[in-house]
Amino acid sequence: MELLPQLLLAGVVIGSIYALAALGFVLIYKSSRVINFAHGQIIASGAFIAFALTQAGMNLWLAGLIAMVATFLLGMLIERVFLRRMVGEPIIAVIMVTIGLASVIDGLLHLTPYGAGNYSFPTPAVLGGQGIELFGTQLSRIQLTGVLASLALLAGFTYFFNKSTLGITMRAVADDQMAAMSVGTSVERVFALAWAAAGLTAAAAGVILGLMSGLTLGGLAGIGLKVFPVVILGGLDSVAGAIVGGILIGILENLSAGYLDGLVPGGGTREVFPFIILIAVLLVRPYGLFGTKEIERV
Amino acid sequence: MPASRFTQTGNYRTRYQQDQTIFATYAEQASLIVFVLLLLTLPLLLPKTMLRDVNMIMIYAVAVIGLNVTTGYTGLINIGQAAFMGVGAYATALAATRWGLPFFLAIPLGGVAGAVIGTFVGLPSLRLKYLYLAVATLAFQLIFEWSVGHSPLLEQGGAISLPTVQVFGIRDTFLNHNIFWYYLILPVLVALALLWRNVLRTRHGRSLIAVRDNDRAAAAMGIHPGTAKLTAFMIGSFYAGIAGGLFAYFQKAVVIEDYGLSISVQLLAMAIVGGLGSLPGSFLGPLFIVALDRTMEKASQWLGGLNLFPEGVDVTSALRPLSFGLAIVLFLMFEPRGLANWWRLVRMYFKKWPYKF
Repeated sequence: MELLPQLLLAGVVIGSIYALAALGFVLIYKSSRVINFAHGQIIASGAFIAFALTQAGMNLWLAGLIAMVATFLLGMLIERVFLRRMVGEPIIAVIMVTIGLASVIDGLLHLTPYGAGNYSFPTPAVLGGQGIELFGTQLSRIQLTGVLASLALLAGFTYFFNKSTLGITMRAVADDQMAAMSVGTSVERVFALAWAAAGLTAAAAGVILGLMSGLTLGGLAGIGLKVFPVVILGGLDSVAGAIVGGILIGILENLSAGYLDGLVPGGGTREVFPFIILIAVLLVRPYGLFGTKEIERV
Repeated sequence: MPASRFTQTGNYRTRYQQDQTIFATYAEQASLIVFVLLLLTLPLLLPKTMLRDVNMIMIYAVAVIGLNVTTGYTGLINIGQAAFMGVGAYATALAATRWGLPFFLAIPLGGVAGAVIGTFVGLPSLRLKYLYLAVATLAFQLIFEWSVGHSPLLEQGGAISLPTVQVFGIRDTFLNHNIFWYYLILPVLVALALLWRNVLRTRHGRSLIAVRDNDRAAAAMGIHPGTAKLTAFMIGSFYAGIAGGLFAYFQKAVVIEDYGLSISVQLLAMAIVGGLGSLPGSFLGPLFIVALDRTMEKASQWLGGLNLFPEGVDVTSALRPLSFGLAIVLFLMFEPRGLANWWRLVRMYFKKWPYKF
């Protein structure tokens, strides 16, 4: 079988980006119980900020870093201006605010010259050469760097949550806001930080995705929808779940593209298969693989 | 009962039956009748081009009433209302083209198809709450779009054109299309709104509200929350199906783009801007969002003519989502109860006018 390792490898590559995107999503949900429908748009704005900087002649790495800082601030700003007022509001109001924000960011991106176009990053010389051979399939340097960068970021955040004081504070707030407040933690600061960190990972995901498959607003913002199967499978409030879920969904969608496309008129099962998995997971194990069990029956 | 049945100066209700009346005074009843009569003459007053938007508003209002049943009254977040509309539209289209059913049978059939699929999609609500359910309906929306796009039976999402309609010897032609459908949609909207207003007064309607406010308390009172939630999904998607059937006939064709995720989001926005869980809001919301959309289209044409923006910027595709998103966010932040609340305040003011106490 030549096909299977190829599909698996492609799955891991795209899955690691899903994991990175899902990480930002989980960070926000874990700390503040907000489902962020605007995550795809934040990913897109990160990618386009980096692209605009490279267009101005900046080095790609530096541009990526600045984009990460910019979305860090953007996340903080969104939390401060919009989400802080929504504390204590019904859940549908909070969800709709993020849906509205997604639309606002969409509109703002369309005001820049990049909104409607299809662009690609200038490939740096380091990433342009021969890829490596793995299990009889080619893995380009861009893909390899993308996977390694995602894994490094994911590992970094896992370390941050387990070892650093700030990370532990954030976990404490996630576990019990009241208790955290009563021992003197600033819950507001943690919320802002969670949004900022989510923005940071979003820009990273956007730049890596932009390097791999080009920059279009629809494609980048569409990752915001792919995040749902990932986090439902992995568990909404689990960082480990985001990683495992991301890679699993990446592999599953590639397997479906490889083996199911021939059975369906028109093919393209990879777009819908994750959502069928989502429904199945919701019916069987709604809290996902690693999530907290808080579902109740009626 | 009030001292006079013509004006209301306070709450004089002493029995539950009085509390359940739809109209407190004759004045309210009369004003509604006058309003509906005014609506009947609207095509004479409005320019012809605007009538098309009015029809869209009325069709969306049907769908938004349905969305209010699930999301507003029962508290089940539904990000798939456009897909339910689509189910109704495609069922209507198939019934009309394959089986040759006339429109007055095909559209209700679309409603029934919507209700059946909606109840089925609502099944996860037996276990799931809040955002899990939101994600489930979102998944249904995407699966629906994909399935239609891949089934040869439904032209892979391309246009299925519907036959022309004839009522009382009047044919739906190019010239009278908007007026023709105006007089067909308006009675449907009024009938469906009255139907829901009355369902709301029954045991079933009130149990939905009880489940929204506190489903455990509702269960303790003998309401089965699962049944109530499925009822809500059934009614809500029935309305969506009817709206879809009307939309299909009004547009003369069914295209998948009319039932996409962005339309679902728009319907949710209409429900929120209008005011969740309010019948007047179900009309005000679509009115506001469609009017905003048209205004922004005009504004962006004007702005685009000024050459303020760099090459490659499409002002229309920027301003529309921007204004739409801002409307949602600002309403949620500053007036979460929506336009219906303003409507209520105006009514309260005039109820006691000119005596303010």
